[in-house]
Amino acid sequence: MNEILTQEKSIYIQIREMIENDILRDILLEEERVPSTNELAKLYSINPATAAKGVNLLVDDGILYKKRGIGMFVQEGAKEAIMKKRKEEFADKFIKSLLTEADSLGITKEELIDMIRRNGESTEQ
Amino acid sequence: MGSLKCENVKKTYNKKEVLKDINLNLEQGKIYGLIGRNGAGKTTLLSIMSSQNPQSGGSVTLDGEKVWENQKVIDKICFSREISQMSGFGQNSLKIKDYLKAAAIFYPKWNKEMADELVAKFELNPKKKICKLSKGMLSMVTIIIALASEAEYTFLDEPVAGLDVVARDQFYKLLLREYTKSGRTFVISTHIIEEAAEVFEEVIMLNQGKILLKENTQELLERAYHVSGKAEDVEAATAGLEVYHKEMIGRSMGATVLLKEGESLNGQYPVSVQKMTLEKLFVALCGGEV
Repeated sequence: MNEILTQEKSIYIQIREMIENDILRDILLEEERVPSTNELAKLYSINPATAAKGVNLLVDDGILYKKRGIGMFVQEGAKEAIMKKRKEEFADKFIKSLLTEADSLGITKEELIDMIRRNGESTEQ
Repeated sequence: MGSLKCENVKKTYNKKEVLKDINLNLEQGKIYGLIGRNGAGKTTLLSIMSSQNPQSGGSVTLDGEKVWENQKVIDKICFSREISQMSGFGQNSLKIKDYLKAAAIFYPKWNKEMADELVAKFELNPKKKICKLSKGMLSMVTIIIALASEAEYTFLDEPVAGLDVVARDQFYKLLLREYTKSGRTFVISTHIIEEAAEVFEEVIMLNQGKILLKENTQELLERAYHVSGKAEDVEAATAGLEVYHKEMIGRSMGATVLLKEGESLNGQYPVSVQKMTLEKLFVALCGGEV
């Protein structure tokens, strides 16, 4: 929630991703109220309508739901849904660019897998 | 290499301490950005460095020679202040061309051709009276004086205040043209930080009368990070480091970190790490709570 907004993506997309990140990291728990659009607007110094646009995207995705007169809440099963969506995006976002770069450096698939394995070991220690 | 030095410079107005023990070394041939909040002491510092205002303590020297009331040294310095529409006894009814003529008297290296060229470039009417100018036009006149003075050390106090985007861009281009041609030293105070960040070789941050930092702009930005995520993860990732401006919302926390050489964030915690802009860094270092 405390990330800095950048120029690279539309603000409402960033608002949506920040809330998703917070749900993934257990900063926002399921069935818990998320900050209102006015609170988000104040936090990032943005127009409340822009904040609402980001929040509404999550409502459309079934991640958040509205309790009339109270605010927006995290849907049960939201974390799993986000993980599923991000996993689907993972191949496109990371693996493809990883393979392209590896290819241009002449790294073979075996070498690459070896690198990932070694890197994983060093972070686990 | 020449340099303009402030040693333990202090300034008090009545009993209020405006500048506290300023130590500053401005090397010849650089463009410095002076940034600080309103009332931080920027204008006071510039006026003391240009002998327009006596310091209450400490010394200011250019290549080892005292600046205060030393004509030989003052000739090398130009401090182009904000122009007031009022002069001593009412409205300042000098025309632009007469104002520039008066400025020419003070700067031995005054370049009249450049001044005329800039008047034309900014589309100013030289016959217009100072008191009839808009905020932006007044800024243009201060810019013209600063650039045409050809002084070795040139200070500009908020030169872009009131200028529109196009005129601001024009100013940065003119400044860089003059800088590459002459290698003069410029100190520029501004509140439009982001725009000017690429122009400044070094940035000087002034906070409550003290120098908070003076550093190469790019190097400073390379060691500044914004870390956010779950509060305990952020705390763990930044433990033992130089941390500023922690902000909490529920379980979420954001913090600004300035890494020293050889330092890095701790471990692999699930936190977002972002690069910062000079403006965001300035708010984190100097900003209060809202």
